[in-house]
Amino acid sequence: MHDAFFYIFAILTVFCAVMVVANPVSRSPITSAMFLVLTITCMAALFVQLHAFFLAAVQILVYAGAVMVLFLFVIMLLDLKEEERRRIKAVSAGLGTLAVGSILFLIIKSTLQFGQAGAIPPHTEGSTASLGKLLFSNYVLPFEILSLLLLVAMVGVILLSKKDLK
Amino acid sequence: MNFDYAQLFSAAIPETVVVITAFLALLVDFIFLRNLPARTRTSLLATVTAVGCLSAIAWMGVSHSTYRLDDAIFVVNPMTQLVKQIILALTIFTAFISVQTNFTRHLGEYFILLLLASAGMMFLVSAENILAIFLALELLSLSLYVLTAFNKQSVFSAEAALKYFLFGGMSAAFTLFGLSLIYGVTGEMNLTAIAAKLAGKTTDPLFYVALVMTVIGFGFKVAAAPFHMWAPDAYQGSPTPVTSFIAAGSKVASFFILAKILFTGFAGAEGDAGWHHYISGWTPVLAILAALSVIIGNLAAISQKSVKRLLAYSAIAHGGYALLGILTADQKGFASLIYYVTTYALTVIGAFGVVAVVENYGGDKLSDFAGLSRRAPILSACMMVFMLSLAGIPPLAGFFGKFYVFTSAIQLGAKSLGLLWLVILAIAMSAVSLYYYLQVLKQIYVVDASDKTTVSVALPTQFVIVALAIAVVVLGCVPNLLVGKILAALSLG
Repeated sequence: MHDAFFYIFAILTVFCAVMVVANPVSRSPITSAMFLVLTITCMAALFVQLHAFFLAAVQILVYAGAVMVLFLFVIMLLDLKEEERRRIKAVSAGLGTLAVGSILFLIIKSTLQFGQAGAIPPHTEGSTASLGKLLFSNYVLPFEILSLLLLVAMVGVILLSKKDLK
Repeated sequence: MNFDYAQLFSAAIPETVVVITAFLALLVDFIFLRNLPARTRTSLLATVTAVGCLSAIAWMGVSHSTYRLDDAIFVVNPMTQLVKQIILALTIFTAFISVQTNFTRHLGEYFILLLLASAGMMFLVSAENILAIFLALELLSLSLYVLTAFNKQSVFSAEAALKYFLFGGMSAAFTLFGLSLIYGVTGEMNLTAIAAKLAGKTTDPLFYVALVMTVIGFGFKVAAAPFHMWAPDAYQGSPTPVTSFIAAGSKVASFFILAKILFTGFAGAEGDAGWHHYISGWTPVLAILAALSVIIGNLAAISQKSVKRLLAYSAIAHGGYALLGILTADQKGFASLIYYVTTYALTVIGAFGVVAVVENYGGDKLSDFAGLSRRAPILSACMMVFMLSLAGIPPLAGFFGKFYVFTSAIQLGAKSLGLLWLVILAIAMSAVSLYYYLQVLKQIYVVDASDKTTVSVALPTQFVIVALAIAVVVLGCVPNLLVGKILAALSLG
């Protein structure tokens, strides 16, 4: 049962991810963005199966929620007609397929040859409580570095977007 | 689970001091300095920066503790402390060079970003865990992108920032992809544990993908050819003190962390880049980057008309020489690498300092330097020291830097002289480089000036440039001052 759910969501994730970049029906960026939402939701489902409920919730809240709003906002500012008319260059499509294909080949070859890095536990330690404990003990320093990073982003945005008064 | 916060805090005091100084700089600027003339404001803020950085340096000089946070997220040992001291010294020099220029009114923001970038470098130097490395790298890069865009009156500054940002984002993606593949292959984030897990797996094809991705990512960061395309535009467009900071501080930190990842994390996967001794691993990859950087950097620099651009291409070439130090994959090579990048950083900050002064009287074109020796004799003498040191003329620091790197590369394959081909190439190319460095000196000393006004230099900037020139000469004459420290730190660390 558990396996069946995994395969369903894994196939859905990959299918939606392919539809984000190579949708045969529509070339509208909005459709791509919506498929991205679906991809992210399916990934959240995979997290749920690993019992990483917090990660699943964050995945939906942050990626499907906040980041997607940002994406849609940017798409709104773009010229959609232009984007739909743009031709796919054969060279770049070919190179992209080649790169993705070879990396895929290597990953499959490597897993067949060497197996997994270790026995994969059925559940990750993704419970909110243990995550919180880790964030405020071992990972307290990276957490603080991240807060500095956000501060830099904030200073930068205010500085760059502010109009200089003459 | 008991976590010892006090111990972590006492290990991270230098970083804390720098971060607090950053906040102070912003606060002091907003509360007290708003109505002062720009130059006084910059001088005062640079002093605040210098006091903060100096106290952090002094603290690191006094306390000799070592520390290792779980999973090597934060590691303190004599080597990391030495490199952090070097980085902070470079930050102080950059801060005082900023006094000369006049590109922004948002000085508080400028200094907070400068100091947070330094804090990012310090965290980067202390990180031996791929998660912490990536975070610190992003803190550093993000601050540098904003600093690059600081001159809002200049279109070139915006263009430079956009290019730097896009290329930097790409490189971050590569780094992240490489590091996550490594995590996938080994299931570890700690560099030492990664090396232990990789020990039997170095033929895993996925590992090589990860290796190449990581090297590409850091290749962008250190501007090694063929990932150097952003460097000339970013160097030319950004405000000159920022350029010097990118060329000096960020280079020291990036090379240090690249060497650490390769030496510690990928230990056992070195391979061999020797002539007819090819064994796959990371040294052949780096050897290609080094050879390309040395050739492209030096040849492209010849035709440059802008001094900032010329120094950018020379930075690419110097990145190539420094990669030779990593290629040796041993402690001696590591010591030569640190000496090389440090002396290079000191020299290049000085050179950009002179450019910052000259820029106030026109631009950064070669012709703007014409007859500088009559207009600013002291500055010209300093520029001569910097240029000759970059070209590698004895007895200046640049010569000994190259000398150490080249000899450690040759001694490596004592039996086969494997890296000799690369060393010969590097020596030949550094002969080429003499041409364009002398072009600058020819403008300064031989060509007559069209503009005869004397150049006025802000006192702190003048002081820093002269101090840097003296440091370059002293470190060249008595290289043991620094080399001894590095070797001592290495044997302790």
